[in-house]
Amino acid sequence: MAPSTTVADPQPSSTTDSFDSNAAAENDIRIPKLFSLCAAFDTCLVFFVAAIFVLHKASPGSKSTATVKSKRRIESPSPKIAKKSEIESAEEEDGQFFSTLRLRVFETVWSKIDKTIQDVLRDSNSKVFSGIRDWICESFESIRSSGALSLSEAVRSYPVLSQPSSKQLFTALVLTSKNLEMVDDLLTFEDLGLHLKSQGCHVAKLSSMDFSAKNGVGGCLRGLLRQFVMPTVDVADVTILASWYRESGNHKNPVVIIVDDTERCSGSVLSEFILLLSEWAVKVPIFLIMGVSTAHDAPRKILSANALQRLCATKFTLSSPAERMDAVLEAVFLKPCSGFTVSHKVALFMRSYFLCQDGTLTSFVKTLKIACLQHFSLEPLSIMLEHFCQDNQLPGEGTGLLTEATMKHAFDLPSVTRNKITRSTCEMLPQFLLDLQRMPNPWSIVVLCIYEAGKFDKLRLLDVFCETLDPEARYLKYFSPSSILNSQSNVSGRNSVIRRILRKLRKHASRSNSKLEKELKAMTDKISAVIEFMLREYMKPVETVPFNEILCFKNVDKLQSALLGDPRGRIQSDLLESHSILNCLCCSQRGTTLLPSMHDTSILYALAQEHADVINLHDWYQSFKTILIPRNSKAKSKSKTTSKSKKRKERCEEPEPPAEASIQAVMELQIAGLIRMPSKRRPDFVQRVAFKQEDQFIRQDQ
Amino acid sequence: MEDIDNIEEDECGFSRNYFLAKELSGSSKRSARKLSDINIVDEQELRETACNIETKHEKEISELLNEYKTMYPKWVFELRCGFGLLMYGFGSKKGLIEDFASSSLTEYSVVVINGYLPSVNLKQVLLAIAELLSEMLKSRRKSSGSLAKGQETFPSRSIDDILSFLHGSQSEDKDCFVCVVVHNIDGPAIRDPESQQTLAQLASCSHIRIIASIDHVNAPLLWDKKMVHKQFNWLWHHVPTFAPYKVEGVFFPLVLAQGSTAQTAKTAAIVLQSLTPNAQNVFKILAEYQLSHPDEDGMPTEDLYSASRERFFVSSQVTLNSHLTEFKDHELVKTKRNSDGQECLSIPLSSDALRQLLLDLNQ
Repeated sequence: MAPSTTVADPQPSSTTDSFDSNAAAENDIRIPKLFSLCAAFDTCLVFFVAAIFVLHKASPGSKSTATVKSKRRIESPSPKIAKKSEIESAEEEDGQFFSTLRLRVFETVWSKIDKTIQDVLRDSNSKVFSGIRDWICESFESIRSSGALSLSEAVRSYPVLSQPSSKQLFTALVLTSKNLEMVDDLLTFEDLGLHLKSQGCHVAKLSSMDFSAKNGVGGCLRGLLRQFVMPTVDVADVTILASWYRESGNHKNPVVIIVDDTERCSGSVLSEFILLLSEWAVKVPIFLIMGVSTAHDAPRKILSANALQRLCATKFTLSSPAERMDAVLEAVFLKPCSGFTVSHKVALFMRSYFLCQDGTLTSFVKTLKIACLQHFSLEPLSIMLEHFCQDNQLPGEGTGLLTEATMKHAFDLPSVTRNKITRSTCEMLPQFLLDLQRMPNPWSIVVLCIYEAGKFDKLRLLDVFCETLDPEARYLKYFSPSSILNSQSNVSGRNSVIRRILRKLRKHASRSNSKLEKELKAMTDKISAVIEFMLREYMKPVETVPFNEILCFKNVDKLQSALLGDPRGRIQSDLLESHSILNCLCCSQRGTTLLPSMHDTSILYALAQEHADVINLHDWYQSFKTILIPRNSKAKSKSKTTSKSKKRKERCEEPEPPAEASIQAVMELQIAGLIRMPSKRRPDFVQRVAFKQEDQFIRQDQ
Repeated sequence: MEDIDNIEEDECGFSRNYFLAKELSGSSKRSARKLSDINIVDEQELRETACNIETKHEKEISELLNEYKTMYPKWVFELRCGFGLLMYGFGSKKGLIEDFASSSLTEYSVVVINGYLPSVNLKQVLLAIAELLSEMLKSRRKSSGSLAKGQETFPSRSIDDILSFLHGSQSEDKDCFVCVVVHNIDGPAIRDPESQQTLAQLASCSHIRIIASIDHVNAPLLWDKKMVHKQFNWLWHHVPTFAPYKVEGVFFPLVLAQGSTAQTAKTAAIVLQSLTPNAQNVFKILAEYQLSHPDEDGMPTEDLYSASRERFFVSSQVTLNSHLTEFKDHELVKTKRNSDGQECLSIPLSSDALRQLLLDLNQ
């Protein structure tokens, strides 16, 4: 409930005005400043009214100057800026050029990766797609052969019922990845639509949004007509569909309706829709394609018995996310694609995110995109990826990219200093870059070989990929005959996938030794020798190669924090460790005691930790007061005496200083969702709703 | 594997703490002290003074904000790459985001939505954005020499139409977009699934970029995977500012204010003052009856009708009913049946508050 009715209902008319007039917009820009000046609450009200306003409009023509100006403004003397690397400050100077360049390279690289992924997914679906197309063609033929309708017959207001079977609606149930979110398959269904369209079908796509109980069957029919007939249709009349279908050659092709997220649709609306379409099936042969992502009997649970009777269903199954994942991985990282790659740690993070948390390819692709983006925003040399990506000549000194600052940065890279390459070997640079460009090729061949060898063991490429990226792995040790004893004691390699494969290979070799065929033994020996050679020769994880920073993204922490915000944990730790974020001297040495100088909300939240799941407001407030009072005791002794004198309020009485602070603090905790308001039944208590892991207070109490 | 262990450990930690807290509440006796024991004053006054609280660590906070300024170019880059920015962390982020928008996004149009207000109207938001965008595209088209389309008018269209316009408008220039700043995208007025769907659809337009802030710890529950990964395309940024939530908090009821009596009596007075004198008088009859018969369930409707009719406040049952509907809508009056099965009307206010209200009305 709004605190007072004067605040509650700003007139909508005033909001429209505010975003239209420039004057209002200008006023609004100054809001933050004005707020701090606003003493009286009511003065602020004037500004609250604008729920939406235009902060500023794009300044056309100022494109280049504007950014340069803003960048200059940023260069205020702050400690962080002083820490900036030289290359960044150099970039600042012709900042516009570099940031546009980076953006362009990012777009080139990402569009290449994106296209590769799309192609892979399309390929993985192509079999199912052509299956669906064949099914549609066959069924359509059978309908047509059973007797096409004449035009006059078809546009009569009531459909002609010749046989009972004509009420059947041909339906394809497309089973997607089980029990996972629909999100991966949105694109699949879009592709399916395009595929069928290219085959001449009339395709419309409806989603659960169209089948909402609010819009009813009229809503989805309208959606259908808008897609088929024309976008401005506003009536829901199925006869329009029928007459459209009989128009100028439309009837030569089947009509396909795709519903991608069947489970989310309102069952009754969908049933009604199916009944309606089946009544008209004789006039308009409609093929329904329903995406089912839970179990194959999901339609039985959603639809009414009547509707189910009308369906003549066929099942199609799409590939699993893990299979698609391996295909994507192979195409993006192991076949020549963009040149961009990720480090071992990043790969491990992406793997565990996929396996443990999300399980959708979509989020994997998004992770990859974020990694790519951050690579370009963090690593100045990443712009050289453009040349890797396009198989161009590598940039020489003359391209202008390799400025003095860039060179200095390049030779300060950890991979360069680790390999003891110095500026004196500068002329070797093109050679290094060429090595870097060529390196992934043999490496990926070896990875694919291992994957192939591991297939009998149902190995996932994802696992092999992660392991082969490990710069500290020692595959060869495991492979040498003396290693078997050692390897068992090696804990870190406990789950090594590659070791498992190599062992299996060895086992085959030794078994054949004891058995008859010499040839087999000779062959396995050869294979082992080849694999051993390959591993030794080419298995160089990208992170060991000099200058790998150009194409390899490593910062797993940044990736994680950008991908997975953790408001629940982070907001609580913000409050409990406010001093470490604010970097203030006064509170940093506090240990476990609460100091009055700390942020009010911080104190209050730390105090809340001492309580059980409900907090007595009175006690809470009193303990808050005892912490704050020492600070205020000198200055505000006057207000203290007044508060002691009388319990009940007088209009003129000033509130106690801690009261106003605690009001603000409690409200801030409420905004953060950390406490729940007192209920009518329990007016003196608030409820804690978040429990932090490092909840030491509670443990101490135990 | 380690990660799985970690996650499990985390979950164990959370649940352990939850149960510890529960156990604690069972073992130790709950404090029975009352909130009313604290010397608290009127809400209005508290809000006024709360505006003037000195912010602690102002220097550190401004340093923190300065530190975030160094990240502005990165944020712009991320926006240009097609991501949406989601700011979280403790403290009001309104100032930070608006500073970012007005200093670094000068070449793009910026629309600000104050999601913490209860009056946000998404259709108006969409209208404003659609107008800005069509204006922008038109100027681009003009500069590129091709013909501009006829004047498009949006106000008459539905939300779906505006959205499809936003989706449909294409320009070759990928770097041409409108930035939409949403303060508190988890705000009470746009917290419902429909608004979030609309915002998500808006965010998925190729010429729209969203910069939003959240404050509630459970805000991510608003979105499903499609919205997060495909539509909003969030990049999370942890930017605690520790700045006071001044404007965001105005619409939150205050826990420590002595809300009940003073507050509701005051709101009731405001509502009543906006009604006709006859309606006020009917209300007064009811109030006086309730004060003189504190033990009853309320005043039977027929009695109220006859009493009001006697004094010529209403002429028919219909007029009385219209007054009563008005009262009920504002929660000034509740109905229930008494033991005889008669419909009774009562005012959900304490006697003190009711007396105060009558005094206010008679002034």
